[in-house]
Amino acid sequence: MAQKSIAQELTKGLWSEGPVTRQLLGLCSVLAVSNAVINGIAMGLAVTFVLVFSSLLVSLIRKLIPNQVRIASYIVIIASFVTIADRVLAAYFHDLSKAMGPYVPLIVVNCIILGRAEAFASKNSVGRSTIDALGMSGGYILTLLLMGAIRELLGSRSILGQQILGRWFEPWVVMLLPPGAFIMLGLIISLSNYFDLKAKERRRPR
Amino acid sequence: MNLSTRMVVVLTSIGLLSGSFLAIVGQVTKERILFNKKREIEEAALRVVPGAKSIQVIYEERDFTVFQEKDEQGRVVGYALQASGTGFQDEIVLGVGVNSELTKLFSLTIIDQKETPGLGAKITEEASFLRYWQDRDCTQPLQLRKPPVEDPKSLAANEVNTITGATISSKSVLNIVNQAIAKARQLREEGKLGSEK
Repeated sequence: MAQKSIAQELTKGLWSEGPVTRQLLGLCSVLAVSNAVINGIAMGLAVTFVLVFSSLLVSLIRKLIPNQVRIASYIVIIASFVTIADRVLAAYFHDLSKAMGPYVPLIVVNCIILGRAEAFASKNSVGRSTIDALGMSGGYILTLLLMGAIRELLGSRSILGQQILGRWFEPWVVMLLPPGAFIMLGLIISLSNYFDLKAKERRRPR
Repeated sequence: MNLSTRMVVVLTSIGLLSGSFLAIVGQVTKERILFNKKREIEEAALRVVPGAKSIQVIYEERDFTVFQEKDEQGRVVGYALQASGTGFQDEIVLGVGVNSELTKLFSLTIIDQKETPGLGAKITEEASFLRYWQDRDCTQPLQLRKPPVEDPKSLAANEVNTITGATISSKSVLNIVNQAIAKARQLREEGKLGSEK
């Protein structure tokens, strides 16, 4: 496979290799925190922080780490950044950290991060790995925003706490509950697959 | 250096570095995190008793704290009871403001909860739940009104509203409040709530 350009490295995370819609990674956190837009934004930023810094560090020391202990090393690095994010949120953004509940510590097991460390950062330069991490975080945040907006709108008539729909709309409580998350995720993945197939058909020479 | 030595050296140094770094972060943030928790509870305690300006812990045990509340002139205006109990999914921690005779409930606030979003979590909302908890007569244990009424005035003096679709959460809050008041009353009889005049 030919080396991708820097711009491609950044944008692939948004669509063609989107972490949630294409690689189906990090689903647990997407399902859990997408019941309101603000939770999605906070989770997205926390994941961005952890993903960018662990990709950077993993790629920086990739030649020092013996192959046999690489996964253990990555996990220690990721867990350290997650703990930092968790402590800092609890100390300086108390309300936000309460809303996120146990999901911040669970970023450790978010497969996007270990996945990128193993599949990309361990084989590529520091610059490329950082850009890849930024792109992947972008794709993750986009999916969270989309799901959060739809679920919050249908489930509590609002977006970002702002009332959008009037009292005539009876909120679909199911949208705030786990089943609503699964339904939305399924719809979003199938829609993105549909558009992707369409685009491929158009590109195919006739 | 052979492979196994290298593995040990690399993994140990990563562990040591990350451990010492985390120790620093923990030290830096520790005070602030404790401060946040304390402030949150104190703010809640001040909020639930009208006219209260200063608070003092006068009784403390596991899962139950009594704050004595004084106004600007230093008169005791009431107590805030911090209590917790089991909700629908997890612990609910709440604060209740009562007058110094323990006969009237001023208001209720929810400090911590993990009830179902959109259903049980409504216990934290002023409009759908907490406003029905203002100025209740608590000489007798409080009762749930089911089905709920729209206007707080149509509730009896010792009644509070149920949330439709979240009876268990409503009931849990009610039980925690009733138990907290009963406990405070018992402590008062034992003379453990300090001197009152």
